Amino acid sequence: MKGKAEIHELVQGLLTACGDDGSLADGDSLLLSGRLQSIDAVEIVVFLEENFGIDFAQIGFDRDQIDSIDAIYALVQAAMNRN
Amino acid sequence: MVAQMHSSQSLRNRLAEFRLIPRLETFPRMVSFAQTSLGRITMLAAFGLGLCYFFPSPLLALSFTLMLAFMTFMPEYRRFILAVTPIVFVVLQSYREPLLLGLNLAVVGLGIVLYWCAMRWPKSRFGQRPVAFLLAGFTAVIVFACAAAPHSLPYTILWNLVGLMASYVWFIAYALIDRSSKPARDLPLEMATFHPLWGSTNVPFPKGAAYLRRIEAQNPEQLAVVQLKGLKLLAWAILLVFFQVYWFRFFHGYLRIPTADQALAMSVNGTPAAWHLRWESLILGFFELILSISILGHRIIASCRMAGFNALRNTYRPLSSTTIAEFFNRFYYYFKELLVDLFFYPAFLRYWKGHKRVRMAFATFAAAFFGNAFFHFTRDWQIIRDEGLWKAIANYEAVLLYCAVLAAALSVSQLRKRGPRPVGLFRGHVLPAFGVGLFYCLLSVFDTSERMYPLAEHLRYFASLFFIHF
Repeated sequence: MKGKAEIHELVQGLLTACGDDGSLADGDSLLLSGRLQSIDAVEIVVFLEENFGIDFAQIGFDRDQIDSIDAIYALVQAAMNRN
Repeated sequence: MVAQMHSSQSLRNRLAEFRLIPRLETFPRMVSFAQTSLGRITMLAAFGLGLCYFFPSPLLALSFTLMLAFMTFMPEYRRFILAVTPIVFVVLQSYREPLLLGLNLAVVGLGIVLYWCAMRWPKSRFGQRPVAFLLAGFTAVIVFACAAAPHSLPYTILWNLVGLMASYVWFIAYALIDRSSKPARDLPLEMATFHPLWGSTNVPFPKGAAYLRRIEAQNPEQLAVVQLKGLKLLAWAILLVFFQVYWFRFFHGYLRIPTADQALAMSVNGTPAAWHLRWESLILGFFELILSISILGHRIIASCRMAGFNALRNTYRPLSSTTIAEFFNRFYYYFKELLVDLFFYPAFLRYWKGHKRVRMAFATFAAAFFGNAFFHFTRDWQIIRDEGLWKAIANYEAVLLYCAVLAAALSVSQLRKRGPRPVGLFRGHVLPAFGVGLFYCLLSVFDTSERMYPLAEHLRYFASLFFIHF
């Protein structure tokens, strides 16, 4: 079962690809702060769809849901509870 | 050798950290001062003076600064002031024209009703896809307006309605997608974003109420920081205005290089400019567009920051972009966000889930082709009114080509992004940035302000840049 570490790894990889080598805490804003772009949000969406079966077309999509590692993890936990 | 390398690195770091306008918001004493009454008054006065460069009258700049002062000293009334002032301005601007005033208030009312309906019935067809319904309704109004007998009462009403809807439709669309955002939504802030006090184009700056809630200053220190950033951004906009003035004087006055629009018009009229002048006007036009969009965006975002919202800049170092997608993101951020929020994500989350590349390309076309074309077509609604629907569509072929090429290039750029980037200053930065600039330069031939030239004229001009004449 993938968890926070995998999410952290994914986000860290996206930041590195954007040339952002700054520190990354679990509560740091990713999209709102401009550290990640819309195209990176797509990567996170696909990751959540493929690994946790989250269907944003069903639950509704709000960038706040994936704006930090904590937020993504909360979304994953909510999806696991639903299942 | 090591010492030399270290010194070179240190020089590069120092150059990277150099700021023409110091980062005032990082100076603790400055932030403390900005929280005092004297500091706030000083900042507001400086900001008001700066606004005089942009506002048509000092009285208007003063009124706006007074609004900012109310929001600075009484932040608890910020949302109320933001919600009420746009309505007051509408009434003041159009109270002499009852029809326009009535329609204006009706469009705002329609936005509020649609927002309420989307929240009230989230599982209904409308609640599931409110933006699609909104845009379909807007299209229907345009079609009805085209069908009305010229200069009749329905014609006047419908075209006034089209004009107003064109300026409000994207703001209402943002309110509709805010329906599922958290924390709880509030109507005053939604209303504040229907043409906000700090100004906007047809593109909502900076997005909708959900975004504003997230970036609002929560305490005096945050307010001081965001206001210092706003003041800096306005100063930067003023510097760019000066630069723009001298740029035009030098290139178009002293050197007499035609503007991009003039060069195309000369070609259409059968008296084309010399080959080198066509290239020069094209390249200058590219930089001039960046300059004008930067100035516009900086002025609006600076005002938004002074009102207490820490919005991202609209234009941020576009020339440092190494991919076509990155430039699109950096050049006109809030237009790109509009396309992403209203077209890209809905398409991406619903269709082609089993085909990664097709899914990405489809969503990109939904945004950069369909959304982009629809936005500009309806923004220029006067052309539809004056020329008729079919002629307006026929004359839109150059823009359609522009949108199609842009969408294709963005798709490729986004799919290629996943590969490793070349290293080194020249191969990693200079060469890709040059390629990106050249692409947008050439593409701008099809995106001039003149919408009535047929596609053949644009293609002829484009080919003539490469010595091909037909």
